Amino acid sequence: MTTRSRRLSVAVLALVTGCLLVVAWSVAPAAAATFRIAVGIDPDALDPVQMTTTTVGNMVDYVVETLTTIDATGKVLPMLAESWTVSPDGTQYTVKLRQGVSFHDGTPFDAKAVKWNFDRLIDPAVRVPIRAPYPIARTEVVDSHTVRVTLKHPYAPFVGALSWTTSGLVSPTAADKEGNTYKDYNHLVGTGPYTFKERRKGEMVTVEKNPRYWGRKPYYDTVVFRIVPEAATRESLLLADQVDLIILPPVADLEALGHNAAVKVLLAPSDRTIFIAINTTKPMLNDRRVRQALNYAVDKDAIVKNVLFGAADLMDAPMASSLFGYCKVGTYPHDLAKAKALLAEAGVKPGTALQMIHPTGRYVQDKESTEAISGFLREAGLEVSLQTMDWPSYIRTITTPVDKNTTQLHFLGWAPAFLDASQQALQFLSTYAPPGGLESSFYKNPEVDRMIQAAEREPNPARRKELYCDLSKKVWEDAPWIFLWVQRFPIVYSAKVTDVSSLPNEKFYALYARPAR
Amino acid sequence: MTAFWSYLLRRGLASLVAIFGVATIVFLMVRVLPGDPARVIAGLLASEEDVARIRVQLGFDKPLYVQYGIFLERLAHGDLGVSARTSAPVIAEVGERLGATLELALVSSLIATVLGVAAGVVAAARPYSIFDYVLSMVTLFGVSMPVYWLGLMLIIVFAIDLNWLPAAGADQAGAIVLPSFTLAAFSVAIVARMTRSSMLEVLGQDYVRTARGKGLSEPRTIAWHGLRNALIPIITAAGLQFGTLLGGAVLTESVFGWPGMGLLLVDSIFARDYPMVQGIVLTFSTLFIFTNLLVDLLYLWIDPRIRYA
Repeated sequence: MTTRSRRLSVAVLALVTGCLLVVAWSVAPAAAATFRIAVGIDPDALDPVQMTTTTVGNMVDYVVETLTTIDATGKVLPMLAESWTVSPDGTQYTVKLRQGVSFHDGTPFDAKAVKWNFDRLIDPAVRVPIRAPYPIARTEVVDSHTVRVTLKHPYAPFVGALSWTTSGLVSPTAADKEGNTYKDYNHLVGTGPYTFKERRKGEMVTVEKNPRYWGRKPYYDTVVFRIVPEAATRESLLLADQVDLIILPPVADLEALGHNAAVKVLLAPSDRTIFIAINTTKPMLNDRRVRQALNYAVDKDAIVKNVLFGAADLMDAPMASSLFGYCKVGTYPHDLAKAKALLAEAGVKPGTALQMIHPTGRYVQDKESTEAISGFLREAGLEVSLQTMDWPSYIRTITTPVDKNTTQLHFLGWAPAFLDASQQALQFLSTYAPPGGLESSFYKNPEVDRMIQAAEREPNPARRKELYCDLSKKVWEDAPWIFLWVQRFPIVYSAKVTDVSSLPNEKFYALYARPAR
Repeated sequence: MTAFWSYLLRRGLASLVAIFGVATIVFLMVRVLPGDPARVIAGLLASEEDVARIRVQLGFDKPLYVQYGIFLERLAHGDLGVSARTSAPVIAEVGERLGATLELALVSSLIATVLGVAAGVVAAARPYSIFDYVLSMVTLFGVSMPVYWLGLMLIIVFAIDLNWLPAAGADQAGAIVLPSFTLAAFSVAIVARMTRSSMLEVLGQDYVRTARGKGLSEPRTIAWHGLRNALIPIITAAGLQFGTLLGGAVLTESVFGWPGMGLLLVDSIFARDYPMVQGIVLTFSTLFIFTNLLVDLLYLWIDPRIRYA
């Protein structure tokens, strides 16, 4: 073959190859749309009954659904339950289930499946850390799509508790497949808009769109939850357009992110109250005037503006406004003169020592906030010393029984799993004090105890709300806490996507996110 | 039995004793730490009743000597127990993460060794030159710069500004680059300084002067007569750095979301996941002991005069 003909052959071959490539590219299926979310926690377990953190619950919610759900205002709505009735004594719930729903493996969603799940929820052989809101005695199948749940005692928040991921419903048939066991169900098979594809520990969880979902279909074919512990790195991923949504960026960067046209910042309301618990059994701190003085001494507004960069709302009740049972009670405005007067009235001399302990990195700006608080208390004439420790040691310290407990003031946050005042009120129930629970201020007011217990059993929502409002006023006046703020839940997402919102229990709601036009 | 195999056998037995000692120390140390693992794992919202139940399920209600006996019995069968947090076998959990940690440590070691040795050799060949002073500054930077800061700076430049590399994770092409260079920064400095000083000592020897006098080219003199004879301390430094890199990857793994064992270890300590902490520390100890043995065996290959009795 001559050189010229060889060159011609090569050119023809290249042309044909190029054409084939163009054809292949044009007929190749479009890459599946993927939504990428960066979170900071690697799940210990994906099993709904075992998970304990909201972020993990958020991931599980894509695959596993519950009988009820909450909307952005915290209102309880039907989900896999269509309707329910409650017996007059408040112990029996008859639930009509949604029809035409199947689990991802084809198993019908019916009363038998619900019974299996609820029996598992109360089975002591299964690890269920948050079992207390489900005081179920037994579950009965009434017909194929009706169950009757009998409680051990009346528990008014039960329907709200059914919206929490712990009571998520998984396929009984898959309990011994894909590595699942009855006690550890981590390869999720639910009824949700996405199916579980894979989990790479420490790296990511991937879910894929369920084409047979009973409800509204989401836009994205795949959602990837990337595990990125470092807040600054999550922010970097978003700015590099390598993820579409992040939660909890460095709080100091919120202002700059707000000015960045490439991203949108959502300071979502949450149910997490942040406070300084006061050990009400200690000398001086057992005087209500002193506790009120501590509240007047701290300029919470200044701390929210300058330390939290605006990512919080001042408390005006002993609970977040997103909880059922909230009512606005009042404020403790910054009033140094009043604080000093109350301390003097209580016989507290200037220079009196107080110790305050705090975790570091557990809550947003916990260390920095505590330092600011100690500064304000010093202005009021108290000599505050600070101490920090790692989280397990901290929990051990604040939950030491009262006779051995040495704490005076400690920084803590409290976020109910579902949006009901019942879990918040545990912080003021004297029988919940260590070692029986986590009421770490050891606050005791028999009238408040009575109202909390009555509210838990009261079937009438209006009367329940009244009870919580009344006890809130008493707690506010007794001031077992320095009432600080309700933390906001920052969500930052790419301006290229839209329809991202939140739920007021520290969950992002991006199920129906789609590309912005 | 030859002296060499006898030496290996003795080292092997000594290693087993060391591992057993480490296992016992770690078993006791984690249990001395304050904090209730059942409460930490269950979370704040769990009732005391459920926490107590979890404590029994985990076996942490048993007396210490009973827990130790169970631990030794399992260890004898190669069973590291079950993670208190995830309920998965510790061996499986460690196995899932070990590859990522080894990959990061090996690549970082390679970078540290290649760059460090090359820089150290050039600096020794041209002592007190501009290159030598620049190397001094760079090595000072390497040992001083916090890993956390360096990692974030590299992310800003290469991931955000240039968009050349992934900012985090281990699943995309090029993901190993930024974390390995971040982790290697400190080790490059150590290896470079060690190489420079070892080479300077060797290049001042009579046989090197003789080699030059015989007309051997400078590169061949440095490589064949210089570097080869300077290798023992360099390999010691590089080997020790590998052990440091194994255990010191925690911050790097955190910054880059790298799914390795370092971060798992820290999370397990904070969660008081005793079986996992024990399993990871045992794994690291075994790897470190093995690395040291490998370095000692490398000496034999590099210097035929060395004999182990």
